[in-house]
Amino acid sequence: MCADLVKTICPFCGVGCGICLKVDEQGQLLSVEPQQNHPISQGKLCDKGWSTAYAINSDQRLTQPLKRINKSFYPISWQEALTTIADELTAIIDESGSQAVGVISSARASNEDNYAAQKFARAVLKTNNIDHCARICHSPTVAGLKQSLGSGAMTNSAKDILETDLMLVFGADPTENHSILGGHIMQAHAQGTELIVVDPRVTRLAKLTPMHLQLKLGSNIALINALLHVIIKEQWFDQRFVESRTQGFEQLAKHVKDITPESVESTTGVSAELIRTTARAYSHAKRAMIFYGMGITQYVSGTNNVISLANLALTCGHIGKAGTGVNPLRGQNNVQGACDMGCLPNVYPGYQAVAELENQEKFSKAWGTKVTQQAGLTSLGMTKAAQSGDFRALLLFGEDPVVTDPDQNHVQSSLKNLDLFVVAELTMTETAKLADIILPAASFAEKDGTFTNCERRVQKVNQAIAPLGEAKGDWQWLQALAKEMGSKLLNWQSSEDVFNEMAALTPPYQAMTYQKITDNSGLQWPCTNETPNGTTILHQQSFPIGRARFICVNQVDIDESTDDNYPLLLTTNRLHFHYGCGSMTRNSPLLERETPPGVLFINPIDAKALNINHQAPVSIKSRRGYVETRAMFSDDVPVGLVSMPYHFKEAPSNQLTNTAQDPVTKMPELKACAVVVAALAKDQVPKTIQQLQEGK
Amino acid sequence: MEIYHLDDLSLLQQHLLAQYQLYQVVKNDDKQCSWQQQTKERNEPLIAELPQSSAKDFFFAEHENLLIFNGEYFQETLPTPAPFVLFGILSCDLTAISYQDQFFKDDPYYQARRQQCLLVGLDCIKPCQQGFCPTVDAGPGVREHTADIILHPLENHQWLLISTNDKGTEAIKGLSLKTCHWHFLTQRDLTLHQCEQEFTDDSDITQAIDKLNNGEVSDSFWQQLAVQCLGCSGCTTLCPTCSCYGTRSITDESEDKKVITQQRFWDSCLYEGFQREASFHNPSAEAGKRVQRFWQHKFGNEFFAEFNRHGCVGCGRCEQTCPGVIGVHSVMKRINNNA
Ligand code: SF4
Ligand code: SF4
Ligand code: SF4
Repeated sequence: MCADLVKTICPFCGVGCGICLKVDEQGQLLSVEPQQNHPISQGKLCDKGWSTAYAINSDQRLTQPLKRINKSFYPISWQEALTTIADELTAIIDESGSQAVGVISSARASNEDNYAAQKFARAVLKTNNIDHCARICHSPTVAGLKQSLGSGAMTNSAKDILETDLMLVFGADPTENHSILGGHIMQAHAQGTELIVVDPRVTRLAKLTPMHLQLKLGSNIALINALLHVIIKEQWFDQRFVESRTQGFEQLAKHVKDITPESVESTTGVSAELIRTTARAYSHAKRAMIFYGMGITQYVSGTNNVISLANLALTCGHIGKAGTGVNPLRGQNNVQGACDMGCLPNVYPGYQAVAELENQEKFSKAWGTKVTQQAGLTSLGMTKAAQSGDFRALLLFGEDPVVTDPDQNHVQSSLKNLDLFVVAELTMTETAKLADIILPAASFAEKDGTFTNCERRVQKVNQAIAPLGEAKGDWQWLQALAKEMGSKLLNWQSSEDVFNEMAALTPPYQAMTYQKITDNSGLQWPCTNETPNGTTILHQQSFPIGRARFICVNQVDIDESTDDNYPLLLTTNRLHFHYGCGSMTRNSPLLERETPPGVLFINPIDAKALNINHQAPVSIKSRRGYVETRAMFSDDVPVGLVSMPYHFKEAPSNQLTNTAQDPVTKMPELKACAVVVAALAKDQVPKTIQQLQEGK
Repeated sequence: MEIYHLDDLSLLQQHLLAQYQLYQVVKNDDKQCSWQQQTKERNEPLIAELPQSSAKDFFFAEHENLLIFNGEYFQETLPTPAPFVLFGILSCDLTAISYQDQFFKDDPYYQARRQQCLLVGLDCIKPCQQGFCPTVDAGPGVREHTADIILHPLENHQWLLISTNDKGTEAIKGLSLKTCHWHFLTQRDLTLHQCEQEFTDDSDITQAIDKLNNGEVSDSFWQQLAVQCLGCSGCTTLCPTCSCYGTRSITDESEDKKVITQQRFWDSCLYEGFQREASFHNPSAEAGKRVQRFWQHKFGNEFFAEFNRHGCVGCGRCEQTCPGVIGVHSVMKRINNNA
């Protein structure tokens, strides 16, 4: 029977729902129930949240450090693991310098773990080679919003959804990826709030509203510029706001002067009339909120896509007030926190630029060691440098780039090229299989700390059960490793110590303590001495850069268009049952049953033309790779477009996706590439990528 | 039936604690209510509040091993719990237990736990937030056949104690109690009647039940409604009368032997995979069919006939927990307005 209910935060997405872990007398995790009075989730969870216990209790959890000898892994002691890693790291740094080593932390790990990771990289390894996986989700958000507004986070809060008059959902599928927030949107819509969905696919939300702009893949900017054209031409913009709070409006007006809705009809596939209706609705709404997701960011034009959404909100003055704003829906539970903690090569905690001397001095002084001035590498930069042998040792935790990164083959061969590859993980992922040393990581239920959700709410995570086997929290093993390397710079007794050190150095977190976070059910940053109770709405009086900037951007077509050899476009999507690479959620027998291993969504008309039946085995080939899976008929994808989820190690979509990058953030274009699909023999079972690679 | 007057509730609690493990609904700092074990030392006041999780997992465990095969023989896994009491369980949840008793009549795992349990019901004298038990004959007063002992609050922290059967009488043996006049029962009826009056208008629900059973709800209505079902399993997990389960075999191979465990776990009929067969054939592949099936189970005449009551006990939990805003009140309202 349940002996204790430990309240904590769901580890599966950026909504950060409140969850209670039920623990029995023996300290075993039994199951979960929602926190009834949580400010966001109010007694609700999605299917991932409800199946948390399966992920934690999985019999596949790693429980001791492992060392690879040839192709097999052997258990070793922590001491041996730490000594081996420390010796090799030291040797590599001696030989090739600190630029040859780096750390990739995790958007799933706590703020404390992420803070420790970047401090370990910067203070102990003396390198800015520190990153996390947001690179493949939302780095264009940080880059784009930073330029336009001065801050790269969600401007408003979840509760604003029930205070707005219109919701514009752009390239996001919140009911699948951020289900509870998607539920709020459905609830508001049911109560009469207008809903406009812009997406190439017929998403669940698109089915609920007559206002669905089913644009062609990658034509976001053309569409937004045309919306701006109408709003400006018809004088529907917010003159007062534009004059008092922004700069660059004249240029923008000139820039979009000729981009009429008619002129973009063929690029976007959206009728001029629908563009006009949308422009009118958005600009006339008293309060309007924009939500966007990876349908905006995962393009070569990712940063510019984000900028153009900011242009739209600024033009209509839909920002800095309740029920408005530009609201990125970020994937992983702590992607906001990982960025806030400075797990990015170019910024210290709190987005303090690494390039500025003043900041270098601040951190050198605080940490009691001189930090390097040399610029760091992004995660893709590290894998690239590994290919050429310039980058030699990588510590990676809680990520599975082999399944999620673009261009799987490239990632695999680079990681294999490393002299030392250390992975800290819960289970044996595809990436971990390539490691020299694997460290057993503690799950969120086994540690204290904080997560920062997509609305900037820092929430307390509480330990419910003892770490499984010899598993350890990330900051703990990083600290132990630092000591092994002869450094005393990581020296904390508790996660609260880590938090307090971080808060003192991170201005937006300045006035936060564990106690205050608990008492307030989370605190939204900035939480400073001036705003001790946190901030629900950003940019109310002014922007961090003073006036917000209009920046003119042009439509950039997708990098790879279709041709005779590759006649269909492939996009990627998520299924709500699964999360990220699926290494946690796929342990639930209930969620695993929901979808066969890997699927390709295809419009029945395309399928017919190719002689493909529902559920039939198919092959998919792009210029970079080949996979096999099963076809699933769906009217949700238009003719000419097929879609694949990326949770499946058997048929990873990243065998196929393009590596062309956003020039600003190096974000790869995961949302569009050209493929050819063909039917396989009727009773052939689709081969997994592992089988294909081994030529079986 | 025996009626007593009880001045001090803690005497009853202490008396039961001597013979049973005692569980009671407790409210935490976040105002969340859950079943917690009480001890002589830790003994919280009795509250009439519905816990978020019903009592069903006391009998129908969320995960349990049915069979263990260790390579040579099958091992018995029947649970052997010590006698326990659910102290102060509310009427809707009691009605649900009696419903589950029928469903699991021949299930040895369920029955092994159920036999060990004493049910002490507690009358509600104020409506709760989402509840509508009077509409479905499940409260607010405890139905006699659903509990062994019924507690009814009187003024001045006094209680009426009703023992409804031998098990109840046995349990209070040795406790010094004053038998009391039957007019207290009339008083109880009045109070409960008064409470029933205070529930909000339930015509949406009753009318929707009629429409549902008259075949007035179209397939396209269910389809449109089901767009909002996110398949979270929240409703089926919290619903006190839901009893779907799945099974799986877990193989644990060590050097010298192979142990196969057959495990059963709570399932949800709202998952797409629930009815899918290995051939990919699925009688309820459409979300609309699944949602319809769920509500048919709760309010359909065919199930009423089988169990002699509705499958819904009016607790309102599904309304609170459904992220898709299609819990009982929302659905019934929509059936009334649009179906
Ligand atoms: S919406 Fe996100 S945070 Fe909430 S329960 Fe689902 S996965 Fe967890
Ligand atoms: S259907 Fe809803 S209201 Fe009815 S018993 Fe189940 S959870 Fe309670
Ligand atoms: S609670 Fe709502 S969304 Fe979840 S399974 Fe039930 S009906 Fe579907």
